[in-house]
Amino acid sequence: MPASAREDRRPVLSRIDVVARGAWILIGLLAGIYWVHQVLRGEEYERQAENNRLRRVPVTAPRGFILDRNGIVLAENEPSFTLLLFRRETKDLDASLRFVAELFNRPFEDLKRRVERDRSYYDFVPVVLQENLTISEVGAVQARALEHPELVVQKTERRVYTQGAAAAHLLGHLGEATAEQVAARAKAHPGDPNLPRPGEAIGQQGVEATYQDLLSGTSGSRTYVIDSFGREVGESGNESPLPGNTLRLTIDLGMQKIAEDYFADRVGSAVALDPKTGEILALLSAPAYDPNLFTRRVSRAEWEDIIEDPDHPLNNRVLQNVYSPGSIWKPYMAYAILTHGIDPKERVFCPGGLTFYGRHFRCHGTHGSVDLVTALQVSCDSYFYTMGKRLGIDAIAESAGLFGFGRPTGIDLAHEKNGIVPSPEWSLAARKHPWYAGETISVSIGQGPVLVTALQIARGMSGIANADGALPTPHLFHIGENVRTGERFVYRPESKESIPWPPGAHETIVEGLWRVVNMPGGTAFGSRVAGLDLCGKTGSVQVVGQKEAKKGHLLPEELRDHGWFASFAPRDDPKVVVVVFVEHGEHGASAAAPLAARLAEYWITKSRGGTPEILAQVAGRPLGRAPARAN
Amino acid sequence: MSRLAEILPRRIDLRILFLALALTAIGIAMVASTTAGTSRADLAGKQIFFAVLGLIAAGVLLAIDYRILLQYSPGLYGFALLVLLWLPVFGKRIAGAKSWVKVGGGFQLQPSEFARIAIALLLAWILENDDRALLRPRTIWALGAAVGVPVVLVMLQPDLGVALTYFPFLLAALFFGGLPGRWWAILLVSGTLAVGGSWFLLKDYQKDRIRTFLDPNLAARGAGYQVRQARIAIGSGGILGKGWKQGTQSRLGFLPVRHTDFIFAALAEEWGFVGVAVFLALYGALIARALALARDARDRGGSILVILLVLNIAAQALVNVAMNVGVLPTTGITLPFVSYGGSSLVASWCMVGLMLSVAYRRYVNV
Repeated sequence: MPASAREDRRPVLSRIDVVARGAWILIGLLAGIYWVHQVLRGEEYERQAENNRLRRVPVTAPRGFILDRNGIVLAENEPSFTLLLFRRETKDLDASLRFVAELFNRPFEDLKRRVERDRSYYDFVPVVLQENLTISEVGAVQARALEHPELVVQKTERRVYTQGAAAAHLLGHLGEATAEQVAARAKAHPGDPNLPRPGEAIGQQGVEATYQDLLSGTSGSRTYVIDSFGREVGESGNESPLPGNTLRLTIDLGMQKIAEDYFADRVGSAVALDPKTGEILALLSAPAYDPNLFTRRVSRAEWEDIIEDPDHPLNNRVLQNVYSPGSIWKPYMAYAILTHGIDPKERVFCPGGLTFYGRHFRCHGTHGSVDLVTALQVSCDSYFYTMGKRLGIDAIAESAGLFGFGRPTGIDLAHEKNGIVPSPEWSLAARKHPWYAGETISVSIGQGPVLVTALQIARGMSGIANADGALPTPHLFHIGENVRTGERFVYRPESKESIPWPPGAHETIVEGLWRVVNMPGGTAFGSRVAGLDLCGKTGSVQVVGQKEAKKGHLLPEELRDHGWFASFAPRDDPKVVVVVFVEHGEHGASAAAPLAARLAEYWITKSRGGTPEILAQVAGRPLGRAPARAN
Repeated sequence: MSRLAEILPRRIDLRILFLALALTAIGIAMVASTTAGTSRADLAGKQIFFAVLGLIAAGVLLAIDYRILLQYSPGLYGFALLVLLWLPVFGKRIAGAKSWVKVGGGFQLQPSEFARIAIALLLAWILENDDRALLRPRTIWALGAAVGVPVVLVMLQPDLGVALTYFPFLLAALFFGGLPGRWWAILLVSGTLAVGGSWFLLKDYQKDRIRTFLDPNLAARGAGYQVRQARIAIGSGGILGKGWKQGTQSRLGFLPVRHTDFIFAALAEEWGFVGVAVFLALYGALIARALALARDARDRGGSILVILLVLNIAAQALVNVAMNVGVLPTTGITLPFVSYGGSSLVASWCMVGLMLSVAYRRYVNV
C-alpha cells in the first residue's frame, strides 16, 4: 500500500485553497496598482517621459544685415566655429583643458576659470571654451574626437562689421544680454516668446540696440532626442528661425569714409543730415574703435586699452559729449535779435571789446561799425555782447529753445545728452545761486554755462536753412526690408516743430552765413567752393584762459581751443547740413570748415547726379588747410 | 509504444508546460527589446539558449522519480551547502559579489539559484517525515536551519536579492507543515526585530533603496532615480503601450537594469496595461495550475514539493512586479522566466520539471 493512503491530507488541501485565493487577490491588487498608474495617471507620466527624452535647443535667427543708403553692407554675419565642452561627458577635466590650452596656446588657468564660472549651470549645458576657431583648429579638435568626445565644435554665426571703425558709433555692437536686460524686456513685453536668453548676443549700442527687435528675427528651435546620459541620439523636431529684417540706414558710406579719413589723426565729431527730412548722411565720432572686437569675447587687455584711452573712444561725441558752442551760437542769437524788435540795420561800433558791468569783454578783432549781417560774417563779439545785453537772458533762452537746444533731438540712438540752455530759473535749480547779469554777455557769444551737442547744432542749423523753419528729427532708419517677403517698410519721424520766421528774418541770417564763406573777410572764406553756395558759421571754444591762449601755436595741443563749423548748402533749397567739431582744432575755419565743405560738396554733387567717378574725384582731392584766420 | 504515446500527453501536464513556455517567450521578447541596439544585443540569443537548456533539464527531472530525489535530498542539500560555503572563501568577485562559478565558454553559473531546488527538496523530505497535524518544535528548528544556513551563506557573497528568495520556502513549509499559533507569534516578533536590527547590517546603498522607497522624490538623480524612472516607464505605457521596442524610457536608458530587475517596467511601457493584465493572468494561471497539481499529488512529499516550488516562483514574481511599480523597495529580486539570467531561467525550468515529475506520477499504479 502506498504511503499516501494512510495520510490525512485535509489540512494541506484546505491550506492550498487559502494560498490559491490569496495569490489571486495579490495579483488583482497589483493589477489595480498598475491600473492606477497606467490608465488613471498615464497622461501625466507620458508627459514626464517626453520631458525625459526631448531636449529643445533654441536656434538663434540669422541677424538682419545693416546697409548704407546705397545698399553697401555695413554689418553682416559669417559662419564661425565655437568650441564647446560638455562637462557631463568629461572624464578628466584637467586632461581636456590641457589639450585645449596647448592647441590654442592659452593659459590653462584661463580655461579652468571659465569652466568654474559656469559651474552653477546644469552639467548638460555646454561651456564655451573658445570662439572663432580657424578651419585648421576645427580639424585638430575633430582629429582627437575619439579621445575627447566632450569637446564639440559648434557652427554658429558671427557678426561682422565690414567697415571696421568707420561706422562704429552709429552701428554700435552686440554683447551678451545681461540678466537685468532680460528682466527689463520681460517686464516691458509680457509673454513675448522671443525674449533673449541670458548670454545671448543682443544689440548693446547704436542702431544694433535701437533696432534690436527688427534685426533679431524670431528664434527657432531644434528638438533632440536624448538618452539618459544627455547625449543626442536623434532629432525629433525642427522649427526654423525667422531671419531678422534687413535695415537700410540713411548713412552714405562715401561721406562717412571722407569724415573717417579726415579724423584719422584728430579727435572730434562730424554729422551731416538732410535738413528737410532729418536723414543722417554721415555721423562720425573720433577716435573710434573696431566694433568687431565685441563680436568675440574681448580680452582683458583689449578692454583696458579701450576704456583707459584718455580720448574715450566708446563715447559717441556727436550726441554724448556737450561743449560750449562758441561763435556757432551766433545765428541763434541773430534769430532772437530779429524777433525782438531790433533793427538788423542798427550798427554797433567794435573797438576790439566793450565793458559791461565793470568788466571788459574782449572781441577777437577790431571790426568798427557793424550791422547784424556783417557781425555774422566777421563774427563780431562786440555786436552780440551789446545785443545780448539788450535782449536779456530770457529772450535768448526762449530762442534757443525754439531751435531745440537743451533737450534731446529724438535721434534713434540712445544716451543722447540734453545740453544746457541757461536761464535764471536754471541757475537757481542747478547751481543754487542767482543768475549774474555778466553771464548774459558771455552767453551772447556762446560761452558761459551754455552747452550743446553737435547733433543739436545740426538740427538747429536745419531750422535756419529751411525757409519754412521746419525742425526735423534726425534719424538713421531709412528702410526696413523683410528678407523673406521682400516687403519694405519706411519710417519717417514726423516733426511737428518749426521755427516761426518773421518776414525777412530768414533771408537776413542766411545772407550773413553765406558771406562767412563766400565774401572776403568772412571767417571761412578759405573754404569756399565754387558753385556750392555753402553757408556756415565758424566757432572756437576756449579751453584755457585768455592770457595763455595768446601764445597760440606754442601751446601744447591739449591747451588749444576747440574748433567748430556749422553749415548748410546750397543757399537756396538747402540739401545738406554739416556740423564738424575738432577738439583742440584751434580754429573752426582751419580745422573744421574744410571737412564740412567737402562733405557738402560731395552730397550736392551726388544729388545733382554726379557719377561715381566724379564723386571719387571729389572725395579724393586733397583737403588743403585754409590759412588760419580770426573768427 | 502506442500505449506510451497515448499516456504521455495525458500524464505530462501540458497546461503548466505551456504557461511556463509562454512566460519564457515573453521574457525572450522583452530581453530582445531592452537590449537591441546596445552592447548587450546578444543577450536575447543567449536567453533562448538558456531556455533550451532549461527545457532539457526539465525533461531530465521529469524522467527521474521525484521520490528518489526526495530520498537523496540531504545529500543534494549538503553538496549545495559546500558550494555556497566555497564561494565566499575562494570565489572570484564579479560585479562586487562572489556569486559566480565560471563554467567555460564565457558562461557563469550562479549556484545560489540552483541551491533553492536542493532546499525545496530537503524541506519537502523533512515535512514528509513529520506528517502530524501540527509541527513538532524539533521539526520547526530543522526547517529553520535548512533555510537559515544557505541564507547566511548567500548573504556573505553578498547577494541580498537571492537570499531573500529563500524565505518564502520557510514560510510556505511552516504554513503547510502546520505551525502552532504561538510559534507564529514568536516568528512575527523575531521577524520584526530582525528587520529592525538588519538596518545596522545593511550596506549604504541598500539603506538608500529603502529610504527612497519610502520617498521616491528624495533625490531625483540620486537613489530615488531608479524608482521614479521605472514608474514613469510604467505610467507612460498607458493602456495599449508604446509598442515592442518602442519604449522611450527603456530604449534611451532612463530605465535602470531594464533587462533584469526592471524588465517588467519595460514590458508595462511597451505593452501597456493590457500587456500587464495578460501577463499577470498568465502568472496567476501558472500558480493556480501548480496548486491544483499539488492537490492531486500522490503523496504528501510530492504535494509539499510542488507547493514550495510554485510559491517560491510566485513570491519572486509578485515581489518583483510590486518592486517595479515602487510598492516594495528595490531588492534585486528578478522576475522568474522573464528577467535575463541563465542560472535563474534554468533553475526555474528545473522547478517546472520537478512539478511535471510530481504530476506525472500522480496515479498510484504507475
